[in-house]
Amino acid sequence: MQFDFIHKPCNTAVKITLQAGETCTTEAGSMIAMDSHLNVDTSTHKRGKRGILKSLKRMFAGESFFLNHYTANTESELWVSNPHPGDMIKVDLLGEKLIVQAGSFVACDENIDINTGWQGFKSLLSGESFFWLSLSGQGQVVLNSFGAIYEIDVDGEYIVDTGHIVAFEESLSFSLSKAGSSWIQSWLGGEGIICKIKGKGKLYCQSHNLMEFGKSLTPHLLPKVRG
Amino acid sequence: MEHKIEANPDYSILSVKVPSGEKLMVEASSMASMTSNMKMKTKLAGGFSRFLTKESVFINEFTAGESRDGEISIAPGLNGDIQHHELTGNEKFYLTASCFLASESSVTYNTKFQGLAKGFFSGESFFLMEMSGVGSLWFNYYGGIFSVDVVGEYVVDTGHIVAFTEGLDYDISHIGGYKSLFFSGEGFVCRFSGQGKVWIQTKNSMALVGWADQFRRIEKKGKGVSFD
Repeated sequence: MQFDFIHKPCNTAVKITLQAGETCTTEAGSMIAMDSHLNVDTSTHKRGKRGILKSLKRMFAGESFFLNHYTANTESELWVSNPHPGDMIKVDLLGEKLIVQAGSFVACDENIDINTGWQGFKSLLSGESFFWLSLSGQGQVVLNSFGAIYEIDVDGEYIVDTGHIVAFEESLSFSLSKAGSSWIQSWLGGEGIICKIKGKGKLYCQSHNLMEFGKSLTPHLLPKVRG
Repeated sequence: MEHKIEANPDYSILSVKVPSGEKLMVEASSMASMTSNMKMKTKLAGGFSRFLTKESVFINEFTAGESRDGEISIAPGLNGDIQHHELTGNEKFYLTASCFLASESSVTYNTKFQGLAKGFFSGESFFLMEMSGVGSLWFNYYGGIFSVDVVGEYVVDTGHIVAFTEGLDYDISHIGGYKSLFFSGEGFVCRFSGQGKVWIQTKNSMALVGWADQFRRIEKKGKGVSFD
């Protein structure tokens, strides 16, 4: 399976080239174009397996209830993108677990297991979703974000603003803290709560925050009228 | 005409060198800057048919006057990609609604009714713009644009078609079984067949608009919005 990204980082799409017999799993609704002889199957979990509970949990993690599985008979191509402007990256997993922010999962190959993880109540305050996806196995994963994605090798401690985490390896843990020396300063500085990442591993961050962008649109949108 | 497209695909801007006395047709309100000898004339081109393809009813005709060459920079309202296509005269070229940006005056267009089913389910308009003639044509859309050479069959998600060449036709269908039709999140797709080239956009402006809906203020009926 080969992944080729185009128009990074703002209007990114990925061309996935499948060899005969390979299966690619994508988030529902993310296909933009494909070879017509790809076989498509829709399920709630892995291809040919059932898992309503896993699917329900995934929905809480901001992902789609259903997953699509594209299987190739001959070499075929599949184009995948997220409707929002933003970046996409490929991460190779070698057996470690990757914790992914809600809504950032796009696609993976058939060797990846998709589960939903729980990061505790701190998730609510962190500006991220309550549930996180945890991807494991040996294979390739495609993630998306709003804004560009950058990678940081954390060894020790690192600070990320809330809402900017895309994914991190399971060897890292995060806790919440204040940005400045006092809570008043943190609040006045517009940073408020920040995430402290501890441990050794890879961290993926996004340059922009989708919710902040949405809020900045509010004054320019027509109000909804309710009776 | 000599041209260059810069800052693509995110904030594409097209600049065209117009030889003295020649004309360039440009979508209304797309001119960003130009040399002072470029003269603009607004035309009611195509009349009602342009209205059907979601384009402005007016089209601006820029002529390089004062017997010297002119230059014009064109940027569409939506931030996105601009593509160039050279029409050779013996082919037709189809643009989906609101993708037209500019063309040489030797390029002509017609409005083509797609049929009810296609118009309704394709995520595009009921009408296509059929471009013919000889010369340069520029089109734009939201997001990045890539092209695929089709031989046989190819599937494109609804709302992502930008343009396609003559020799291709598409049908509305679905992928996978009926379960996929309802649950795949893809719904209907456009299935192209024949031989030719199709241009596809990576993003969909309507999806962004739909997402932005949650950020609208809520106003009680009878009370105005207060800005204090």
